[in-house]
Amino acid sequence: MIGPLATGLIVLALVIALVSLLTTALNKAMGNVLLVALGVLELGLLVQAGLLIAALVRGEGPAETATLIGYMAGTVVIPPVAAFWGVGERSRWGPAVIAVAGFAIPGMVGRMLQLWQGTA
Amino acid sequence: MNEHVNGSGGAVPASGAPSAGAAAVGAGPGRVLVAVYGIFALAAGARAAVQIARQFDEAPLAYLLSAFAALVYLVLAVALARENRVLATVACGIELAGVLIVGTFSLVDPEAFPKATVWSGFGSGYVYIPLVLPLLGLFWLSRRR
Repeated sequence: MIGPLATGLIVLALVIALVSLLTTALNKAMGNVLLVALGVLELGLLVQAGLLIAALVRGEGPAETATLIGYMAGTVVIPPVAAFWGVGERSRWGPAVIAVAGFAIPGMVGRMLQLWQGTA
Repeated sequence: MNEHVNGSGGAVPASGAPSAGAAAVGAGPGRVLVAVYGIFALAAGARAAVQIARQFDEAPLAYLLSAFAALVYLVLAVALARENRVLATVACGIELAGVLIVGTFSLVDPEAFPKATVWSGFGSGYVYIPLVLPLLGLFWLSRRR
């Protein structure tokens, strides 16, 4: 698992969450900028999942492999589902859905880093 | 206060919801609730699955309870999304009862729950979100009658 990539994903997800909250506060519906950002986030998460699987196949990785894979699967699934669910709502509550996902991803990636480093 | 106004405005025909008259529970802020319940179902369900698969003998009751809680979150998310108020209300009630009963039990008799569940200590392991979620859900359902 690569630290800088994980850190970048956490930062990007938090930025997306904050912009989404701002959009909700300004009473606006989803814009394309948020969607593109979510797409970039998903790409990064997929790359991370690919690298993780490669490392696990090589036999690297923590004892808690099953938990790690669970989190990994979760991070890959959440952004597209959130995008689908948020776009369907043409009000301020669409971006609020994206904000929920944006706050969930950093928590999950953070837990994955902890598991990888064996601190938890 | 203006949240309420905008919330109602959120019920613009976007989805082909059957009842145009009654305020939709899966639209507007309800969408956010569905998202939160969905993520909790995913998180609690994945965790319970791993625990049951790897170390079920350690604390069968706690892990089964976690799995049950995840299932109820899933039912709740789907019920809200599909505008099934009755099912959503029942699921909220089960969540609330579960977190209160197990929470109290885990404080009074810690031995009974050696391993943490989503509901232990009133959901303290999950920043008390399991305690707040069913209340939020019931509040939302009652406001959209």
